[in-house]
Amino acid sequence: MKIDTVLHSDYTVVSIAGEIDMYSSPALRDMLLTLVKKNTATVIVNLKEVRYIDSSGIATFVEALKKMLAYKGKLKMAQVPDRLMEIFNFSKLDKVFEIYGSIEDAANS
Amino acid sequence: MENAIEVSNLVTYYGERKILKGITCSIPTGTTTVIVGGSGCGKTTLLKHLIGLLKPASGSIHIHGKDIATMDNASLDEYRKKMGVLFQGAALLNSMTLAENVALPLKEHTKLKAPVIDIIVRMKLDLVGLSGFGEFYPAELSGGMKKRAGIARAMAMDPVILFFDEPSAGLDPVTAAGLDELILRLHRVFKMTVVVVTHELPSIFAIADYVVMLDKGEVAFVGTLDDFKNSDKTIVRAFLERRPEEESYSPDNYFKIIAGS
Repeated sequence: MKIDTVLHSDYTVVSIAGEIDMYSSPALRDMLLTLVKKNTATVIVNLKEVRYIDSSGIATFVEALKKMLAYKGKLKMAQVPDRLMEIFNFSKLDKVFEIYGSIEDAANS
Repeated sequence: MENAIEVSNLVTYYGERKILKGITCSIPTGTTTVIVGGSGCGKTTLLKHLIGLLKPASGSIHIHGKDIATMDNASLDEYRKKMGVLFQGAALLNSMTLAENVALPLKEHTKLKAPVIDIIVRMKLDLVGLSGFGEFYPAELSGGMKKRAGIARAMAMDPVILFFDEPSAGLDPVTAAGLDELILRLHRVFKMTVVVVTHELPSIFAIADYVVMLDKGEVAFVGTLDDFKNSDKTIVRAFLERRPEEESYSPDNYFKIIAGS
């Protein structure tokens, strides 16, 4: 799994590539919690290059969202591949996260 | 179609008694395959070999290309992390709550932090319709709920292969049908290879893509559900039409058996 973080004036984009699984998700968690500690207002997670996400990956996002909501921060998902979207839908996570077709849409919402 | 599991010439004994007599069969990746047959035909014994609980006397069991029959314990432990098993009685630990039962494999086999594990546990319990039951103990649940909790625990590590041993055993028909529906949904969404040992005809018709039938420790049939339904093999017809086996010995032989001569 590879993570790239780009800071913008109003939001931060976290682009992930590869597989988010029980071995790699702790690194993702560390990175997201670093942003949470800084009270980052809006984090947009670009999932376009993610081939696989397991429960630990989803739980990591849920934990980050819960912590961000405590200070009214926003965690948005962008460019979710169909395969992941299916899992999001089944797990009712499409109701939990704000999901957008593009980073621009997420940034402008 | 690629095979998730390939069993070749599998032979096993319980003591002197030959239980599996050269089983050869394949289970295609991403299918729900049911292993069927009458009581005592060897289907649970075959399942125990597929999950690495028993070692065969001879033969091989390739799972995703690796022979688990010859694996050392460390490799077998790694393999087991990628599979989930629902045992007949659900095999929950009675001294633990449902949440603790589901969390157990995650605590044992991963380095995930407690907050992440807690969320995964709630997700898995919700997946099987047991949201809000995390603090219940197994003794406080119905049979169907225990099976669901067992599935939640089997799913904890996001397995690529999910095994069920007689999931409907001891359940009323409505609860059993609900469990079949759950198995179908999990298979559909997570694209797992699902292997179900059962002799329940309604379950077979509801969930199977592929059927492996055993009879007296041998493979009697392998094929799709439609082929199974349309098979003209005597043993398959007898199973589908619920016809009992014919008496295996004559009254004269029976007399000799009970008279001890």
